[in-house]
Amino acid sequence: MRTSLNEIKLIDGRIFNTNPPEDALLFDALLIINPELGQQLMWQQKAHAIVKQYSRKKLKAEIEAVHQELFHKPEYSSFRRRILGLFKKK
Amino acid sequence: MAQQNTFGYTAAEREKAFIALYQQAFPAVAKYVSKMGGSFDEAKDVFQDALVSHYERSATTALELKIDEKAYLFGIAKNLWAKKFRENVLHSHVDTFETDLVDEIDAQPSGGKLMHYLETAGQKCMEMLKAFYYDNLPVKTIAGLFGFSGERSATVQRSLTYEDFLE
Repeated sequence: MRTSLNEIKLIDGRIFNTNPPEDALLFDALLIINPELGQQLMWQQKAHAIVKQYSRKKLKAEIEAVHQELFHKPEYSSFRRRILGLFKKK
Repeated sequence: MAQQNTFGYTAAEREKAFIALYQQAFPAVAKYVSKMGGSFDEAKDVFQDALVSHYERSATTALELKIDEKAYLFGIAKNLWAKKFRENVLHSHVDTFETDLVDEIDAQPSGGKLMHYLETAGQKCMEMLKAFYYDNLPVKTIAGLFGFSGERSATVQRSLTYEDFLE
């Protein structure tokens, strides 16, 4: 059974701690009487972890591209020399 | 989630911000790592993880304090250096000092396959979820970036995308 958009919103509110106090109380009560909601919460947490993992990988690729730019493009040669000079064997 | 992302809304804006941060803060980190006997690659590694940590905090924190980014990045990088290279936690990345479910997913045999599938077949869906949940961009901006007619349309589309993703 598909989870309703309202349930998704409520569960997101629980995960990110953004539900107003009355919704937070209601959610805690629903969790006790409805075990399926607990399962749904777990899946939604996993979904967020996957989104985070995907996003972090993309962000790291963007940062690595910046690194390559700084250490290979001629306009950053003085920056590059300054950094590499720190690691020269004395 | 507060919407405080100060790194810009597009990849081009983020590139500009990261270049500026690299120029401001990497020299001090490199100097420190070099002094401690580390290599250029090790300095690069801790600095890039520090940038990821700074980005995530900036995107999710509700605080609007103006921090000294150079000193802040240096502090994170120094801590990461201590963790990674002085406590023999060789494979520790930014993932490990934030308790989340990522490690659990990495440990699952299907994690790699699932991620590969999402990166290819579900790329547009993932990019939208990234913009909303990770980059924490305002809905109006997401609507513009993804070609929706307005905030309402973007919100509905994001919800449906997320619902499909959960399925």
